[in-house]
Amino acid sequence: MGGYGDIQLLRDDGLRLDGRKLDESRPVSIQAGILPAADGSAMVTHGLNVAVAAVYGPMEAHPRKIQRQDRAVIDVRYNMAPFSTSDRIRPGYNRRSREISKVTAEALESAVLVERFPRSKIRVEIEILAAEAGTRCAGITAASVALADAGIPMRDMVVGVASGKIEDTVVLDLDKAEDNYGQADLPVGILPNTGEIAFLQMDGDLSPEEFDLAMEYNFKAAKEIHEIMVDALKARYDGGDN
Amino acid sequence: MVELVPNLLRQEMTRLAEQDARIDGRGRFEGREITLETDCLYNAEGSAKVTMGKTVVYAGVKFEIRTPWPDRPAEGSLMCGAELRPVAHRKYEPGPPSPESIELGRVVDRGIRESGCIDMNSLCIIPGEKVWGVMIDIHVLSDGGNIFDACGLAAIAALRTAVVPAERFDVGEDYTLSVNGTPIMASFTRVGGRYVYDPCEEEELGGDERIHITIGDEGHLHSLQKGLRGVFTPQEFAEIFEVAQEKCVELRKIVAKKEAN
Repeated sequence: MGGYGDIQLLRDDGLRLDGRKLDESRPVSIQAGILPAADGSAMVTHGLNVAVAAVYGPMEAHPRKIQRQDRAVIDVRYNMAPFSTSDRIRPGYNRRSREISKVTAEALESAVLVERFPRSKIRVEIEILAAEAGTRCAGITAASVALADAGIPMRDMVVGVASGKIEDTVVLDLDKAEDNYGQADLPVGILPNTGEIAFLQMDGDLSPEEFDLAMEYNFKAAKEIHEIMVDALKARYDGGDN
Repeated sequence: MVELVPNLLRQEMTRLAEQDARIDGRGRFEGREITLETDCLYNAEGSAKVTMGKTVVYAGVKFEIRTPWPDRPAEGSLMCGAELRPVAHRKYEPGPPSPESIELGRVVDRGIRESGCIDMNSLCIIPGEKVWGVMIDIHVLSDGGNIFDACGLAAIAALRTAVVPAERFDVGEDYTLSVNGTPIMASFTRVGGRYVYDPCEEEELGGDERIHITIGDEGHLHSLQKGLRGVFTPQEFAEIFEVAQEKCVELRKIVAKKEAN
């Protein structure tokens, strides 16, 4: 979180630069089953972010050393397409994408009933096609819908949401400018049905009270997005083209 | 991939070919339905999404400012690359770019480059100092067969919608990239002993060598590529070349129709 202070992120009427209220999320739309080659797939559009997830498996886990005798392993790859950002990114992994892949896998392993598939592997591929702050959350949401679309049993779907702080004010769902010039970002993966948290990161500066409010916003947003996720899955199977 | 399934599939392909049939019911030179969307990605200066049957491909165009090559001080550059990432099919493994993805990117690159649709001199900002580098990145999201044609179509459609981001780089006002032509690729795979147009996944798995033909607006060839093990005769090529001419005209109309809207 750098460079804050100089740039105005809240308007005089108390709304944010794009006209959102403090606890208002960017629009979210979700489609399930968009990639025919995959066992399960989803596309999440969250503001201007576009995240696509494909799920393959459960399949044989190889090399054998990654196998777990009592459960499946989830192999997540989060990747940003070269054209997804303002400046082109060179293809290939970097430290950021490796870290996000790791913690996303651990979050999904907390929700998937991995003990049902001992010694197997479930591959989750997250591709970010357009990035405007919040891609890891959009990726987690997409991965959850793709897992459900693949028919993989889960305790709940993990919903990726984030709150943060701009101009000493807690707000829900930071956009690009707010992320760049804000004071804190708190991305969380929530299981709305159980009220548990499977994914947690944070950077910046938050007081205990600000943290509580940010979490309250996150839980509220998770419930809303969860409904959109469920609707996407219903639309996929109501249509009868499967 | 275990060889057992392709061998059974191969027998089935031979049987179907004897009846001049295809596994998905198409005619020998009948393509799958194509959808094309353009300007569909925020942050890309030009973009396109192509679906052909179960194949889904995105292409995005980005620009950078670079110093020109010393021997060509007034020319910009064009680069086209393709990624076959594990998202696209269970057969793709993570890791450095595979020979297949490099071939794919280079074949699409040659078709666009050699058609001359981009005037490299028009990419010059200050001779000897600053030129535009245009980069087309192709992202295959679902491989349902014939990704070459899907990638070729996505790449040229994305390029034709590209806007040069001059303002962001402080070198003037944004303007539409000038693209003079629509090179189109048509691909054929030998299935059951004869060539078919636009192979689906099963046909690629149970088929043999493939031929990719890129044709420009004037009907001239701009890139050819034969891939995989197998041989063909000049007569066989003459037959598919004729089909390719027709297919390229049809596909060029899809691009033009999208642009007219």
